[in-house]
Amino acid sequence: MTDVHETQPLIDVQNLHVHFPAAHRGIVKAVDGVTLRVKPGQTLGIIGESGSGKSTLGRALVGLVRPTSGHVLHQGVDPFAMRRGEFASHRRDYVTVFQDPNSALNPRMTIGASIREPLDIAGLLPRSQRDERALELLERVGLNRDYASRYPHEVSGGQKQRVNIARALASNPKLIVCDEVVAALDVSIQADILNLFLDLQRAFNLTYVFISHDLGVVSHVSDQIGVMYLGKLIECGPAEQLMRDPRHPYTQALLSAEPCAMPVAFRKKKRIILKGEIPSPMNPPKGCRFRTRCWMARDVCSTEPLLREIAPGQQAACHFADTTGLPVGAVETAAYVGAGA
Amino acid sequence: MAGLLNASAEPAERLLLDVRGLSIYFGHGPGEVCAASDLSFSIQPGELVGIVGESGCGKSATALSLLRLLPEGSSRTTGKIILDGIDLAALSESEMQKLRGRHIAMIFQEPMSALDPVFTVGHQISETIRAHFNVSRKEARERAIEALEAVGIAAPRQRYDEYSTQLSGGMRQRVLIAIALSCEPKLLIADEPTTALDVTVQAQIIDLLLDIASKRSMALMFITHDLGVVAEACTRVLTMYAGQLVEEGKVDTVLARPRHPYTSGLLRSLPRLSQPKSKLPAIPGRVPRVFDQTGCRFEERCTFRIDECARPQPIRAIDDQKARCCRIHDLHLSGAMS
Repeated sequence: MTDVHETQPLIDVQNLHVHFPAAHRGIVKAVDGVTLRVKPGQTLGIIGESGSGKSTLGRALVGLVRPTSGHVLHQGVDPFAMRRGEFASHRRDYVTVFQDPNSALNPRMTIGASIREPLDIAGLLPRSQRDERALELLERVGLNRDYASRYPHEVSGGQKQRVNIARALASNPKLIVCDEVVAALDVSIQADILNLFLDLQRAFNLTYVFISHDLGVVSHVSDQIGVMYLGKLIECGPAEQLMRDPRHPYTQALLSAEPCAMPVAFRKKKRIILKGEIPSPMNPPKGCRFRTRCWMARDVCSTEPLLREIAPGQQAACHFADTTGLPVGAVETAAYVGAGA
Repeated sequence: MAGLLNASAEPAERLLLDVRGLSIYFGHGPGEVCAASDLSFSIQPGELVGIVGESGCGKSATALSLLRLLPEGSSRTTGKIILDGIDLAALSESEMQKLRGRHIAMIFQEPMSALDPVFTVGHQISETIRAHFNVSRKEARERAIEALEAVGIAAPRQRYDEYSTQLSGGMRQRVLIAIALSCEPKLLIADEPTTALDVTVQAQIIDLLLDIASKRSMALMFITHDLGVVAEACTRVLTMYAGQLVEEGKVDTVLARPRHPYTSGLLRSLPRLSQPKSKLPAIPGRVPRVFDQTGCRFEERCTFRIDECARPQPIRAIDDQKARCCRIHDLHLSGAMS
């Protein structure tokens, strides 16, 4: 999509840490040293289990949480180094659409007023033109103009999510962080909304960061995919390549655990079922964070593996990432089962 | 596993669950709405059946009606539900209470709201055991610990005295499964049991349910919107749309060649790895709000609509598949692989 000339990344994340204080003087290291770049017009998908830090990363990307250390640069500029007024107008370019379409809308405001609100706050257009702009946005997301006078409870979940998208578009943003935007929707409506996102991206050259636990959704919309585990980016690369040839054992386990709507003869034969659950981000394992659940773990894993290039464009943080495919020799230590019933 | 094979080898075997002409209504008088109409299906002992459909199609209401758990004042059902030879409608509430848990049990979607935060999880398991068996507290405690162990909870003795807030989502779902299994039911209804869980934990829970079902030859009824879960966990699938059963068949056959345009539409709208960034074939339109159509309820969203569709649609059979579609014989619908 982008040319070989060095295009400036829209988002440049450098060694980002976001820590939160917790009870008993604990610290939750929600994001713990993430470095990544997103080129303009591209989609970066982020996958991982709950508690892996993907939502916190998404919030840090749009300046909703302040980094504990490290930087998030928007076209080379650190928004947290700006003056307040500057930051307020700057953040209109970097917006978020959230998971729950119901709680994201004010039940006492009409849909038209909800979409107009960002324009009112920003004072972007003369008052007389804002209503017209709100109606245009409604049409752009596939809703009839007369929806503007309705209230959120009068429309369905999918339509509410369209309204949220219209509102995110109101300020002509450059980046939209989509945090689990289709998780609350039924499959047939989910397909509609994903189509809308792709359509809008082409029309406005939008950049997306698509956060989801649904691998099918992420791989469908993304150019690049990053996999997070306990606050770390443990693998990233071009979407297709990463799905075809994951190198980190965690990515392999995630992909194999995804239920696949195919007759048994067409399904993958081996499933890796991970033991246990994601450890607490307050007290992550030393060394490789995945080693407590990893079937390949060896002594060397007590030293932390760094994210390194494994194949062109693909990076993984695992000492054994050079071994291609599943390590057959390690099968007996793993909780392997055959496919399905 | 043995129960499963027997079930398919001897079709003459007695049905575990036989539902005939079940309709469910909510509300009163002119405001009464139909949530499910004229459902007929059966489940054999040890069978793994999936019910798929989107929100509002009546799948959860159906599950609740099988346990007679629908709100009594504001709902009514017609038709017959025969469980293990017993007609549920003929039972008194106290007889029904004995049946619940012992013959038929259910696990729900949200493991947090299904557990009581003020009692220990162990207490909630032994409570169930003591309601059905005449055993001492001590004996119930031992059985509860065994149940916790059976669902793969480490250190069950210690977990027994913990509260649900101290457990993770996956652990809570395991506790719910332990409660449901503590009285060894013959049929377990799982209503979206893995929707709130991560994929890795979802795989663990599905694995656990299948393992227990085959060990105890217990029948499983999986209610889900996720066709992937059905493919992994079930042998037979029923599709529901707008309160009706619209398709029924063996999972592999239905996935490969669905006979109802709605099932086909659901399969086609799933994002694929093979076609990134392509336009997904979504199903146009929305589920009708009220189910009072005389003809096919899917008609207005269906791309294969003909005049015949406006007339009432009975279930039609082709090979060993059934679908509520008048074009069952001439349509070649695409399935999961195309």
